[in-house]
Formats: sequence, structure tokens, C-alpha cells
Amino acid sequence: MKTPFYSRYIIIALICGLLGAGIVIQMVRINYTPFAQDLIAKSEDYQGVRKTIYPPRGTIYDRKGNILATNQIGYEVGIDLKYVVDPESIAFAASTLLEELDYLDVFASASTEKRAEENRYYVLSSFVSKENVEELELLKENYANRRLETKSIKPSLSGLVWSPMQQRVYPEGTLAANVLGFYNYFSRENAQGVFGVEEAYNRLLTGKPQTVFLPNDPYLVEPLPDIEPGASLVLTIDRDIQNMLEETLEQALAWSGGEGGTIIVADPKTGEILGMASTPFFNPNQYWKYQETFPGITPYNRAVGTAYEPGSVFKVITMAAALDSGVADLDSTYNDASGVYWVANSWPIYNWNYGAWGVQNMTECMQYSLNVCLVYVAIDLLGEDLFYEYLQAFGFGRSTGIDLASEANFPLRLPENNQWMSLDLATNSFGQGIAVTPIQMVAAISAIANDGKMMTPHVVRSVVDKGQQYNVSPQVINTPISEQTARDMTEMLAYSLEEEASVALVEGYRVSGKTGTGDIPTELGYTSNLTNASFVGWGPTDDPQFVVYVWIEKPTISPWGSEVAAPVFRDVVEQLVVLMRIPPDDIRIQLAIE
Amino acid sequence: MKNRILQAYKQAPWRIQIQWIGLFLLGLVLIASITGVYLSVSAQAAASGRKIQSLERQINTINNEIAELTSDLATARSVDRMKSRAQALGYVPLDPHQAVYLEIPGYDPLADLVLAPPRVNIIVESPSVLSSYRRSLWDWLVQNIWQTPSLSLQPEGEVMP
Repeated sequence: MKTPFYSRYIIIALICGLLGAGIVIQMVRINYTPFAQDLIAKSEDYQGVRKTIYPPRGTIYDRKGNILATNQIGYEVGIDLKYVVDPESIAFAASTLLEELDYLDVFASASTEKRAEENRYYVLSSFVSKENVEELELLKENYANRRLETKSIKPSLSGLVWSPMQQRVYPEGTLAANVLGFYNYFSRENAQGVFGVEEAYNRLLTGKPQTVFLPNDPYLVEPLPDIEPGASLVLTIDRDIQNMLEETLEQALAWSGGEGGTIIVADPKTGEILGMASTPFFNPNQYWKYQETFPGITPYNRAVGTAYEPGSVFKVITMAAALDSGVADLDSTYNDASGVYWVANSWPIYNWNYGAWGVQNMTECMQYSLNVCLVYVAIDLLGEDLFYEYLQAFGFGRSTGIDLASEANFPLRLPENNQWMSLDLATNSFGQGIAVTPIQMVAAISAIANDGKMMTPHVVRSVVDKGQQYNVSPQVINTPISEQTARDMTEMLAYSLEEEASVALVEGYRVSGKTGTGDIPTELGYTSNLTNASFVGWGPTDDPQFVVYVWIEKPTISPWGSEVAAPVFRDVVEQLVVLMRIPPDDIRIQLAIE
Repeated sequence: MKNRILQAYKQAPWRIQIQWIGLFLLGLVLIASITGVYLSVSAQAAASGRKIQSLERQINTINNEIAELTSDLATARSVDRMKSRAQALGYVPLDPHQAVYLEIPGYDPLADLVLAPPRVNIIVESPSVLSSYRRSLWDWLVQNIWQTPSLSLQPEGEVMP
């Protein structure tokens, strides 16, 4: 039975139903409008924040476990406009405690008029020290107490916020900076390793950053994913040897008046670099001062980044090639009757003292460093094909593959190149007209000190990643000469040092070595009086455990490698044997017999 | 006769009313119980969420402290600091000619530094949540009631090849 108001009920029901349907249709329609995505994005702002978590950068250790690079806490100080009450106090506090900030700049950033803008957070300073942040914290508390007393809203540092973040630190300061490189951490998103190990192993050290959503709603909170820290590296560098090399190099430059220099110590059996000092010294903790320390094209690490004409140290390679190929032996002689060698009847080559040395055997040619003799060996005995074949076998003309960034390489000028002349063969034989890096020389000489096997030079010994340690295995690059040739060369160069009573000799230890004095080319030719003084040596002669390469650039006290670089070699070896725990030869041999 | 029987079973109106009221109250209690359980679980979930956030912050703080202490330690052990401390204690650099060498069996000054176990192939199990927490009631029923545990046919002490 229908009530008198039945039709009215129906009408009201219809109206309500239509309203409901209208709302539903509108809801669906809004979801498909162009503004829907904006609305969804805006709603996400209220749901939480999306944050990129950067894993801590890996630690770098020396071979004994001393930390060379790690991370410490720095603070990012910023302004969150949403909470700013008193811009004047914020500007005063920030500009007083954080030196690099200007009152007016901070005041402008803290201006509450900007609140309506979308970007309501401004970074004032990155990597503020813990001490400065503690002072800010104290000031904030003082202001809060004062407000309670005066019952006012000012002074207030509300809106001045800080958050901790890790920054790169090099606890040893300048030590091994040329090997380590640096990490430019100021810009978090674009931070990367620059030079040295930091650049060469940047991806491993960095790890994998992850972007996560941090919800405001506690129901949606989930544990953060496990983010593995970047891999850590154990270097072949020995901190004590490195320190000794840097001190010795500094003293050598002060004494010799040299413009720059490099000293490398390597283990010839493995190719491990035990120490690599190079000027100028640089503190990577203040990497932003890079341009001040390395103006213009100054190389970051001369040991790998600079090619130069090495001079007579290169004669070791020429002589090794001659002995190994069999075109000469230890008893072969050369009659230096005139003290000059005419190359293609056009270019004269003289000895270092312009003298004629008469009949000399190969050992004496090396002992007295006779250019004329070595030119004879290269042109008349070896010939261009064999000579350059050996040079390439020793790795000249290509990178050594050392695991450091920015390795330089100067291509060899070979007979098949148009610009090559027979004069090149002559000058190359005694280390002129050819540019090599110190690390190329070390790698090549390592073959002679390691029974003919040339090892890949490297500075990373182990990688520690995800709780596991991966040790780097030594790699043989090539075997340019035989074991016998290597031993003959070692004996020859030990004997020649002893006969010459060289200042490079080390009491109690028999060492092999060769001096080098390289003329420096200018635009007008070899017109400069300045030279590159070098010395390469290895020992102990019967069981070589180290190769030491010394290069002093443009010394003013004397142009000769025998007077500038040889004593530096001796100083290095005298300290090196203690640090490497190598007893004097007599004690070592006696211990071996027992 | 039929009418009489129907008459005998007809409920009194007040009884019907009480039954309806009872049913309504039962529903109400049920809804209240569900709501109570839901609120309790939600509150616990929210509290857990907040605890997770707090623990994450603690982890972050601890990691920062570890980094700070590590860098402090490294600085305290740096060459310069160690040298000045050694000098203050009266030590001098060793003169190589005064060095006394002793042979220590097994000592290798160039031995590898071990910071972590060597690389091995490890199968890492994902998060240590017990399997009992990952299966549904249905899985449990299937596993424990409807599937008869298989009986071992292997006689005791006998080793299968």
C-alpha cells in the first residue's frame, strides 16, 4: 500500500542518487584530466620525501693497513623557510659562525616572503665542521631560553637546520697525494674521484647510491634497503717508505736547486709500487686549491704524467738489447779513437766530455757512459729494426697499464714513420730524442732486475668489497730479455758502479745502477744549460728486491746525474733497506746458509 | 488440527523482539571486537613504524660516529703525529749501521694485509624471516594436515648410495 508521500520519497531518492552518481562521475573525470598528475605529485609531497642515499665511499689503506683516505662527518647547514620566524637572527648567527657567509646574502635567503615559493629549502653551506655546528646548537638553545624569559617570539633560529653527511678526509695530509688523487665532494650529485687511485677506482670506491621513499605515514614505513658501502682498497704503497721518499725528495730539491722531481720505489718481482713521490706536494683535504698548486699544465703526478728525455739511464736498455740479441757480449770492445761518431756522415755525436776514450769493452762503455760507444752499438751492431723491436718489447711507446689515472704516453718515432731519421737511432741509443715517463723506465728496468720478466706496475694490492677480499695477482707484461742477459746486465752495472767509486754505492749492500743526464730540448734545439738528472738502480744485486728511480728536474747545483741524482739514490737506499728489513749482504747470505 | 499445531509453536512477540535485540547486540559486539582488534593492530603497526624510523636514525648516527672515530684514529696515527710523539718520548731515527737483524721464522715484512676473508662463493639467504612467518594458513593446513608425512623406507643404520 502506497503512502501519501510515496512520490515525494521517490523524487528525493532520485535526487540523492543523481547527486551520488554525479560525484562518482566527477571523481573519475578528474583522474583523467591533465591536472591529475600534478595533483598526484603534490599529494606525494605530503606523503613523504624521496631521498637518495649515498653509500660511504670506500677507505684506502696502505699495504700495512694504515688509513690514507677515509670519511668524516661534515654538516650541511640550510634554511627551511617554513619554520623561519626571525631572519635577522639567522643571518647574524650564520654569518658570524660560518666565515664564508655574508649577512646580507643569508638575510635575503631567509626572507619569509619567499615562503610561498616551491623551493622552501636553501643550502647555506656544505660540510660545516662539527665544532661550528655545536656552537650553532648552543646559540639556538640560548635564544630559546631568552624567549622563555621575555615571553616573545624573538630572537629565534627556528628554520636554521643542519644535517650530517660524510666527507672525504686524508688523515696523512700531503702524504701520497700524487698517488691518491682527491674526491671533489662539494657537489654530492656530481662528486667523483679526480686523479690517482680516486679516479682510477672511482666506481668501485663510490658504491651504488639508491633512491628511497621515506613516508610520513608510520603505517607505510619499511626498513631501508641495505646499502653496501663502496669497496675499500689496500695499496701497495708503504706509508713509511712513501714518507721517507717525500722527505728525501724535498731535501734533494732544496739542496740541488731542482725545479721538480720524482722518486719511485718498486718491487721488481711483482711490479708493486712501494712508494712514489712527486712534486709539487699537495693537500687533498683542500682540493679546491688545486689550481694554486698546479698552475697551467703542471702535471699532478710527474711519475706517470710527464714524459721527458731521460738521457744515459736509457743506455741500460740499449746495452741489454745488444747483449740479449747476441750482437755483443761482455768482452766486445769498441775503439773510440776520435771521440766522435758521424751519423750518416752528417751529424757528429760526442761523448759527454768531448774526449776520445780509446779501446773500451762494453762494461767500460757503461761505466764511463760513452755516447759514441752506445751509438756504435745501436747503429753498427743492432741496427734500426732490432733496436726498435727491443724498445717496443721493453714497453716504450705505449702505456704501462699502471692503475693510476692520467698516465702519459709519448709514441715512439719508428723507422716506418716519415719523420724518422737515422739520427734518431743514434740519439735514442743514449736516451735523447725519445720521451719516456719515469714509470715506463721503472717497468723496463724491472725486467733487468727480475730475470728478464717485466711486470705490470700497479698500486692496488687488494680490493675489499661486500666483506670479501680480492688480492691482485702480479702480471708479467713481457719477457724482453733472457734471464742470463738480465743477470749479466745486473752484474755489469754493479761492477761499473764499484769501479767508478760512485757516490751511489751503499755500504754493506751491493747495488746495480746507472746515472743519466738528459739535455732539455727548447724551441731552438738543445740550447739550454739545464738538464734532467736521473739515476736508476736496483739491489741487492744477487737477489733484487727493489728498483729505485730518481729524477731531479733542472738542478742548478750541477747538471750531472752522477752528482745530483746518484747521492739521492744512496740516501733513499740507506733508509729503504731498514724500512724493508733487508739486512746487509753478509748477514743476509750468512742467514741464508744457516 | 494443523492450525493447532502451528499455534503451539508460534513465538510470543516479546520473545521475537528479544531475539532480534540479541542478534543486534551480538553484531554490535562483533563489530566492536573487530574494530578493537583493528585499532590495536594499527596502533602497534604505527608504533613499529615509528620505532623503525627511530632505529634508522640511530643506525645513521652510529655510522656517523664510527666514521668520525675512524678518521680521528687515523689522524692520531698519522706519520706526523707518530713522529712527534716518538721524538717526545726520546726516540731517534735508526742508523742503518747500528741495526741488529734477527731471523724470525714465518715473519714476512711484505706479507698480505688481511682485512676480510678471501673471495669464496657463498649462497646468501635473503632476510632471516622464519618460513613459518611467510606461509598462509592455507599453506600450513596443506603441509601439516592433508599431506601425510612420508615415511622413511630406509632401515636404521643403512646408508643409501
